[in-house]
Amino acid sequence: MRKDRTLGPATALIRGEQSESSCLVMTGTSGYSYLEWVDSGFYPPGTRSAAMLSLYGRSFSVVELNYTWYQMARSDVLARMLAAAPAHIVFAAKLTRTVTHEREEDWREQVQRYRQGIGALGKRLAAILVQLPPDFDRTVSNRHFLAELLDYLQGMPVAVEFRHASWAVDTVFAELERRQVTLVSVDEPDLPGLFPRLDVVTNPALFYVRFHGRNEKGWKNGNMQKKFDYDYSEQELHQWCEHELGSLSSRSRRGIIFFNNHVRAQAPRNALLLDSLIRKKVGRSG
Amino acid sequence: MNRNRFILHLNVADFAVAVERVVDLTLREKPVIVAPLQAARAAVYDMSEEAYRDGVRKGMLLNRATRMCRKARVLPPRFELYRKAMGSFVNEARSYSPVLEYGAEDGHLYLDITGTHRLFGTPPDVGWRLHRQIRSKLEIDPIWSLAGSKLVAKIGSRLVKPVGEYIVADGEEQRFLAPLSLNLLPGLSSVERQRLGQFNIVRIGELASLSRVQLHGVFGRRGESLFALSRGIDDSTVRPEEDRPPRLVRDHIFSNDCADRSVLKGVVGALAVQLGMELRSTRMEARRVGLRLNYTDGTSVSRQASVRRGIADDDSLLGLALTALERGLTRRTRVRSCRLIGDRLHPRSPQLRLFTDPTTEQKKEHLLAAMDRIRQRFGREAIRMGSHPVLH
Repeated sequence: MRKDRTLGPATALIRGEQSESSCLVMTGTSGYSYLEWVDSGFYPPGTRSAAMLSLYGRSFSVVELNYTWYQMARSDVLARMLAAAPAHIVFAAKLTRTVTHEREEDWREQVQRYRQGIGALGKRLAAILVQLPPDFDRTVSNRHFLAELLDYLQGMPVAVEFRHASWAVDTVFAELERRQVTLVSVDEPDLPGLFPRLDVVTNPALFYVRFHGRNEKGWKNGNMQKKFDYDYSEQELHQWCEHELGSLSSRSRRGIIFFNNHVRAQAPRNALLLDSLIRKKVGRSG
Repeated sequence: MNRNRFILHLNVADFAVAVERVVDLTLREKPVIVAPLQAARAAVYDMSEEAYRDGVRKGMLLNRATRMCRKARVLPPRFELYRKAMGSFVNEARSYSPVLEYGAEDGHLYLDITGTHRLFGTPPDVGWRLHRQIRSKLEIDPIWSLAGSKLVAKIGSRLVKPVGEYIVADGEEQRFLAPLSLNLLPGLSSVERQRLGQFNIVRIGELASLSRVQLHGVFGRRGESLFALSRGIDDSTVRPEEDRPPRLVRDHIFSNDCADRSVLKGVVGALAVQLGMELRSTRMEARRVGLRLNYTDGTSVSRQASVRRGIADDDSLLGLALTALERGLTRRTRVRSCRLIGDRLHPRSPQLRLFTDPTTEQKKEHLLAAMDRIRQRFGREAIRMGSHPVLH
């Protein structure tokens, strides 16, 4: 493994044992528009939301867009955002809640609208994140829905995040592999019923990791300020780097890692720390 | 650098119908019209989206509305029920911010959630959670929109009506407004829209392309407001109940709907006297008196009269109230209820007036004080000025 000096911020190229194989790993955060990050010093004092993406780009090269979960992706808005964003940034975008969490009767039309809207990101769309709700378990009807949803998203770079443990079975992984859909690896509290921490790669084109924090007490709390209040220690991230990262990167050409523990700007701090650990690892190997 | 503001606007479309549908599930997905049933020329108070699509509009005569939408269920308005529902709606919102502004029973609510991010998370998440909470607890489905001002948030709601959500990101305001029709711009009168139409200006962006000088040339001083409106500039704050200027309100509901001017004058006069007693007992003065007349057909009209100097005596208050009544009585329709409002209140100055005869002033004050004492002891109708209209 070695570090490539031409890469953007928080990006590393991990070369495998065989010199032909390499994996480009980008680290970032879930969302970037948090006023709390001004209070916590990640953004300079007085920063307005409109200026945050440019500032974010000084530290990172990939970001996960949350707002597309709250409302339908619109091409005009995304095109304007893209025009104002630093040129090196790529995006992952959550699928809208009215398709995943609060499914409406016309969800099929909504997926089409979403595809049209998100199309504005063009080649800078790294992945569409299909996050499924915690109570979405592996029943026949849910399996049918997911299969149909993935059919509708065919041709797009898709990553699926399960939150119910019932989906952690080989047949599901095999089907995702057949469809070239990425299984999202999650880092979250070790609680019963939650999808386990795995390093399964179902799509060699992309691995996708989400660090939600390991706040066991706050996890079941409806308040996201408590749920995602967790500060990863260097030891925890070092351990993840040594075990999971090697396994994921050795079987993928590209990887994106996001920190969702946004409270008090822990997410960007932890993302930068992980990036420095990855770079150290790359340097050591190089 | 200005601070980011986050204003949530929640709007329950067709609020009265939404409340009726919570009470009676059989009304769901059917055309519904809310209008007073007894009145000869009743007007539509509210209607469902289905009836709206058939051409029914607020204020339309009920006969015409039912001809346009023959399948509609017509229900009499239940204002007390709507008031209660509005109270519950407001209470749900209060758990996210103490700074909220709302109307009487119209399903509109502004919530300033600036600075609450450390407690509740990101503003879009607050909007979504509050919406979900209201939908699950009250079974009504409000539109929610999030923007940096009341103006833009309201336009966002209008855009997605009757259901949905809209988030206008910081810095996106002008580009968001530009392609929209002028019809969506709050505060623009129909006369102004017509005038702009004569210049072939039909979109907000087209209005925003005009300079201050051009707008002043056509609209005079109003041009300045149009300049700001068209650019989504709105610094007005969300005004909580306690921050609104104090006012005194007195209501009267007629046992039989009434169109008799002398009776109306008597009632308005009696309300003005009540207002005067309240003002004098709190040593306050009012500079404006407003009158709202609610007609039997569901429509209403509000008129005001004001003076430069604060007043608290019955004669002056009665004069203003009757002026407002004359201004408001433009129809022959019967009146169901009326509300007299005294506002622009300020404490009474202890200083004597320089250019009036102190003895006359004092005599008047003593007389009023004596009458107030009699009314307090024997009831409001116990004594009145001979020159004042009689309450029938």
